[in-house]
Amino acid sequence: MGSSKVIHAFYNDDEVLLDAVKTVKAAHHHIEEVFCPFPVHGLDKAMGLAPTRIAITAFMYGITGLSVAIWMTNYMMIQDWPQDIGGKPSFSWLENMPAFVPIMFELTVFFAAHLMVITFYMRSKIWPFKKAENPDPRTTDDHFLMEIHVHNNEEELTALLAKTGAVEINVVEKH
Amino acid sequence: MASDKKYWQSVEELTNSSFVETLSKNEFIEEIPTDKFLGNKETLSNSSTSRRDFLKYVGFTTAAATLAACEGPVRKSIPYVVKPNDIIAGVADWYATSMADGYDFANILVKTREGRPIQIMPNKDANGTTSARVQAAILSLYDEKLRLKEPVKDGKNISWIEADKEIGAALKKLKDSNSPVVLLTGTMASPSTDKIIQEFIGQYPNVKHVIYDAVSESATTDAMMMMYGKRALPNYDLDKAKIIVSFGADFLGDFHGGFEKQYVAGRKPETGSMSYHVQFESNMSLTGANADKRIVTKPSDQIFALVNLFNAITDSNVASKATPVDAQVKQMASELKKAGSKGVVLTGINDKNAQLVALAINKALNSEIIDVNNTLNIRQGNDAAVNQFVTDLKAGKIRGLLTYNVNPLYSFTNSADFAEGLKKVSLSVALSTENNETVDASNYVLPTSHFLESWGDTQFNEVTYGLMQPTIQPLFNTRQFQDTLLTWSGNSSKYYDYLKSFATDAILGEDSWNTALHNGFFNKENTSVAVSSEISIVDVAMQLSSSAKKSNGFELNLYTKINLGDGKQANNPWLQEFPDPITRASWDNYLTMSIVDAKELGFTNPVKDNGAIDGDYAKVSLNGKEIIVPVMIQPGQARGSVGLALGFGRTFGLKDEMQVGVNAYPLYKNSNNIQFGVTIEKVAGTHKFACTQVQKTIAGRHDILKVASLKEYKTVAPKDHHNGWNKPSYVSYDHKEVEANTIDLWDEHNRELGHHFNLSIDLTSCTGCGACIVACHAENNVPVVGKNEVRVGRDMHWLRIDRYYSSEVETREDAKELGLSRAKTYKALETEAENPEVTFQPMMCQHCNHAPCETVCPVAATTHGRQGQNQMTYNRCVGTRYCANNCPYRVRRFNWFNYSNNSEFDFNMNNEYGKMVLNPDVVVRSRGVMEKCSMCIQMTQATILKAKKEGRAVNTDEFETACSSACTTGALVFGDVNNKQDKVTALAKDKRAYNVLDYLQTKPNVVYQVKIKNKNEA
Amino acid sequence: MSHYEASIREPLILGDKSYHDITEDIAKPIEGKANKNWHMAFYISLAAMLWGFGCIFYTVGTGIGVWGLNKNIGWAWDITNFVWWVGIGHAGTLISAVLLLFRQKWRMAINRSAEAMTIFAVFQAGLFPIIHMGRPWNAYWVLPIPNQFGSLWVNFNSPLLWDVFAISTYLSVSLVFWWTGLLPDFAMIRDRAVKPFQKKIYSLLSFGWSGRAKDWQRFEEVSLVLAGLATPLVLSVHTIVSMDFATSINPGWHSTIFPPYFVAGAIFSGFAMVQTLLGIMRKVTNMEDYITRMHIEYMNIVIILTGGIVAVAYATEFFIAWYTGSPYENYTYLSVGAATGPYSWAFWSLMIFNIMIPQLLWIKKFRRSFIVSFIISIAINIGMWFERFDIIAIVLSKGHLPSTWGRFEPTFVDVGIFIGTIGFFFVLFLLYARTFPVIAQAEVKTILKSSGEFYKKRSEQGIPTKPAINVAGIKVKIDKSDKKDIE
Repeated sequence: MGSSKVIHAFYNDDEVLLDAVKTVKAAHHHIEEVFCPFPVHGLDKAMGLAPTRIAITAFMYGITGLSVAIWMTNYMMIQDWPQDIGGKPSFSWLENMPAFVPIMFELTVFFAAHLMVITFYMRSKIWPFKKAENPDPRTTDDHFLMEIHVHNNEEELTALLAKTGAVEINVVEKH
Repeated sequence: MASDKKYWQSVEELTNSSFVETLSKNEFIEEIPTDKFLGNKETLSNSSTSRRDFLKYVGFTTAAATLAACEGPVRKSIPYVVKPNDIIAGVADWYATSMADGYDFANILVKTREGRPIQIMPNKDANGTTSARVQAAILSLYDEKLRLKEPVKDGKNISWIEADKEIGAALKKLKDSNSPVVLLTGTMASPSTDKIIQEFIGQYPNVKHVIYDAVSESATTDAMMMMYGKRALPNYDLDKAKIIVSFGADFLGDFHGGFEKQYVAGRKPETGSMSYHVQFESNMSLTGANADKRIVTKPSDQIFALVNLFNAITDSNVASKATPVDAQVKQMASELKKAGSKGVVLTGINDKNAQLVALAINKALNSEIIDVNNTLNIRQGNDAAVNQFVTDLKAGKIRGLLTYNVNPLYSFTNSADFAEGLKKVSLSVALSTENNETVDASNYVLPTSHFLESWGDTQFNEVTYGLMQPTIQPLFNTRQFQDTLLTWSGNSSKYYDYLKSFATDAILGEDSWNTALHNGFFNKENTSVAVSSEISIVDVAMQLSSSAKKSNGFELNLYTKINLGDGKQANNPWLQEFPDPITRASWDNYLTMSIVDAKELGFTNPVKDNGAIDGDYAKVSLNGKEIIVPVMIQPGQARGSVGLALGFGRTFGLKDEMQVGVNAYPLYKNSNNIQFGVTIEKVAGTHKFACTQVQKTIAGRHDILKVASLKEYKTVAPKDHHNGWNKPSYVSYDHKEVEANTIDLWDEHNRELGHHFNLSIDLTSCTGCGACIVACHAENNVPVVGKNEVRVGRDMHWLRIDRYYSSEVETREDAKELGLSRAKTYKALETEAENPEVTFQPMMCQHCNHAPCETVCPVAATTHGRQGQNQMTYNRCVGTRYCANNCPYRVRRFNWFNYSNNSEFDFNMNNEYGKMVLNPDVVVRSRGVMEKCSMCIQMTQATILKAKKEGRAVNTDEFETACSSACTTGALVFGDVNNKQDKVTALAKDKRAYNVLDYLQTKPNVVYQVKIKNKNEA
Repeated sequence: MSHYEASIREPLILGDKSYHDITEDIAKPIEGKANKNWHMAFYISLAAMLWGFGCIFYTVGTGIGVWGLNKNIGWAWDITNFVWWVGIGHAGTLISAVLLLFRQKWRMAINRSAEAMTIFAVFQAGLFPIIHMGRPWNAYWVLPIPNQFGSLWVNFNSPLLWDVFAISTYLSVSLVFWWTGLLPDFAMIRDRAVKPFQKKIYSLLSFGWSGRAKDWQRFEEVSLVLAGLATPLVLSVHTIVSMDFATSINPGWHSTIFPPYFVAGAIFSGFAMVQTLLGIMRKVTNMEDYITRMHIEYMNIVIILTGGIVAVAYATEFFIAWYTGSPYENYTYLSVGAATGPYSWAFWSLMIFNIMIPQLLWIKKFRRSFIVSFIISIAINIGMWFERFDIIAIVLSKGHLPSTWGRFEPTFVDVGIFIGTIGFFFVLFLLYARTFPVIAQAEVKTILKSSGEFYKKRSEQGIPTKPAINVAGIKVKIDKSDKKDIE
């Protein structure tokens, strides 16, 4: 069962890595994953990753926050228990609204920020007590790791990768 | 209902397999032998209780105890087992009675709750009035520290029977040996008591009754005796007066018991005419502060001025001296002549001749303001008799001494002589309500009841016969003075029966005793008519002017303060914390000194970083007597004169906190309030004053307190753009100048529904007497915080009376004309004039319809009521103090500490008796919450409920607050502006009405009426 | 070429550094032992903190009366300290958010610590609104939560309630922003860690970050959006704090320019505090190569700018107080009345520390001097404290009614609590400096080639940043288990 076998190519420079990714793609090999110690610009495009939609979720969360604020101020100050506070118009949310603007703003930001980050953590599977999945500790220091599935074509791949300037190439069984 | 269903814990159990059996074995479900070891001792000893069982029990009980302990502390309220008549729990009963403690006399109503008197209010039917002291007297009833609880002989308790037997025997012995005995009492103004004393003297002819007033007005009574053959004080109907000329007579203070009601009645601008009041005085008195014209005159000059006035009016020329005020005196003379019978001259100089001259002037004017027929009996002390008594006592001529509610050892000038003489008497009995030095020095101490526990009658003027009835069972083992005397004179009847028969026979005639008792008074027609006897006034005037020797050294003018008076209630925390209306200083008396003299002698009142005022000490010496007293620089004090209040410096038996001030009685030589040739020198040390107000002037912010002259009021339109005297603040709206309070950011809430309360405060009628402050204290359980807290600006008064002095430079415009720089302008506006005009402004929560405090509270603990009150929800308050910071009137008070049940604040809220005065309708606030004036919502609600129960609408002017009902002069008027008939509705729209700081558009529900002064302009 | 940057720009990373060197440098303070300075600083701060806690317990146990407040001055040091700390807490988010939006590379060296400072400062700030309450045990009543009284809600009209929302949002969002940025660096430490305990801790802290390409893509997006959210947020916080005063009716508080002027003041004081801390941190964690004169100068420039805005605001306030001609404006905290009144000493301290001293930064020599900017930053911190004290104490001491004019004198408790929070702040910061990656190494690595001194030199000589590939030195390893497949 060769499909479970992967090749790990290590690089120690972002620019070299970027070119390597391009060449591998050009050779029509599917790049399983690339692990980097820091963001490499253009890598996602080179790998052909779809752009993330997380910003859109943030916007929707923001809208939610705003509506919650409007509902809360209206329910608490106007509907449930309207009181005469400094003569302010507790009988009309609209007239009393200027006093609620800060609340509305803060809740918008609160919801957008927190829910977005939570979404990010969930999608990228990062949370407390989660086990790290980078195959080699160096990938958080100064090495970049390219992971490619092997279909009985180690030699070809090794040769190709060697050309691209990998500093180390391992073929390992992936569990 | 029983059920025969059986439940299995498991299938195994159903099929009862062995495994369940074992399980049930392992579980200790065997029953614990409780009774075995909880039974009696021997069963316990031979019980089979295992250690485990015991531990189980311990465990259980501990757990149970812990759970029980989780509950909050519960205060049990015990219901009446047998409901007393006419007491409905939660409903107040009012009793009409009278107060007569020897210095303060008043027809009062007493509010009792569940049998506890909790408040004193004036009995308006008897047209009675209450001062701060009368209001506070309710707390003295509960003064468990000072009140006597048991009859005592030489420090050991004895029974009443014993005491009566022994004293009776002693008196008998003295009678037989016909050795003189003196009964020394204060003024009681009680016909029945006088009769009892007569009977007592009938029994014991060797007994002499001497009446002694600590603060004497004997000179006046003597003068009256000479001129009208009657030892009493003249009465003054100031309401009829056109012109009032006073030489140091503090008739809005304690002079003849005070005349503020009549005075203010004669000063209503809306009637178009006000009396013109000119005050020649040395101290800045409450009366001088209210005068239309205050002429600073030191005592010696007052005397000569009086004589000069006499000369001018009677066209006689008694030898006198020129004074700096002669010009004004001349003017006054002509004014008085013009006014004729509508004019009156008063003098506070406690000198027989001076009083005679004053009487003569009034006679010459044939003034109908002074009333010598319906005289006042509230000061019956006779200096001559008292002096004679002291000499005799010292000489050892007097063998027995009975004292009743007097404290000569404290209040005699020559108290040493008294002490010496007291040692020589064979029998000394002190009948007294409160403990004091004299009581301590007597062999027998017989506790008498407080006037709120007593029967009695009073006759402090000729027409009003007041009755006194108990409002509570005696708190301690006390007996009334009258009962004691009756017993001693072998009269077996109780004083109540005696009083009843006396009243019905001598006074009431046909009228019913019960009605009189219910009303608390009875109006009888005046029988005593003064017969004027001719005396050569010229000689008197001569004596007078010669008596006032131009002495070198300072002239000391002794006076009594609004709060302590003659010092009887010195242990009353409400009165001690009460700020003096003029100096705003509480917990102190001090030497008032003119700005100029202070500069010369190097006395200062620096303001410290914590906002408190300090003072230097002066050594005041007057022929041999020396006292050390702090100096308070007093604007308007006559140069070369100083003032000092009597009634302070009591120490014996008082709580440490109350032992404040210095005793000025040693300087009160022959009970004359004016002493010449006083020397003053600065001595080391710094005194810490406790003032509730530091800034003395209004700093050019005249829209806070508006003053106008009577002429302006009558001739100028209030809102006149140029010289209007009640201009509202304007704002530009749509490029038009409009009145600030006409525009609004939002739609207004509907305030037409139901009741809407307003409080009107007439600055013309407010004399600053402060009765309202104490009334508020009592009604709303306002805590007392003590001198140190007041000093750092933490007094808790919900209602305060701000006092502003005028400054030499009153407005920025004036400053501009003088060409002052900014900094100099501010300094000038902030500095009070040497002889300033004084204005008072009662200040409490303004209950703004647009309240700045409400909007800023994060937890909505303070919100607006449907009836216009700004309501404070104590138990919701978290204490951010934002509301206080945002209140432009600074009327909110914060509970910095726990003021109840806290030994750090050992005042009435820290002992069981003192707490009996608390109003059960008002919660005692806990630490950390904000509090403030509630417009006495508990009172308005009670009124509404009453009306509801009686199935009627609330009557016109039925609503009251504590302050408005306590106000003697009617300056405070409370009511419902949604009721068109209520007085306040008209007042709120009056042309004198204005709101403080109206430019802020807080729309207060408290309305002020512009102060109108009669400048005597044609 | 991706890594090109104009050579006239000074390098932001000094010395000949490789990616690995950066890792080493950042990890050193965490893996190494603390030096003597650190220990001394830590124990002093700890003592101060404990003293402060003592004072807080005393206050809560006895009552606010143990402070110097009175019936006319209901706030003084408590809210002064609150506003002061909140102000300080502004630089962090500003640096990491606003500068990120403006693509300012120099932020990367300092944003981590600046954000840490923000969070720790906001902790201190958050203390005061709670302990200044008369009944702090009921503090939770300011939250809009259902309660036993049914419809008993909070008052959304109250600026204090706006504060509750603003501060809590600000604190939590900053925390999340900061932590997300920390994940890759924690991962780095985790993967280097040798001690098992350390490894456990850091793998927990790093939330199992693996650095996949997709993760990085999301990571950058999230940072960008958070920055976009945090920027208005950081401006809103001090705006709302200023509304505590601006929406009130006290002359001197009721002023429409408060929001912008408070925000400027906050940035002013925040940057000053960052300067102070960096001055200390460069030394205790030897980061001289990453926190350079360049960084100091950039921040000083921001300080000059915001300080200028503050100065203009003062001038406006002073002018308006005079120009209204209203006697009620005579004694606002910026007025003749204040300058000559009992609080003139506070007025002039404000002027000297906040307006005069910072002007020295116009001189380039001072601007680029570590020691001078350290001293000036301290001065500004003092000056900004006085600004808030003046606004609160002077204004309250001269209310509308002259009868209510008063004074305030702090008690030892007031002072103790303030010192305590300073101690608490430094305790947190010093612990942070020893246990957290104090520089965002992942980000710094991205600018190594563009802004690193070594690479800049090379690119000036035309040498490409991309290393030459040598196929020779490559090692190929193949699992024994799969040997047979090759045969």
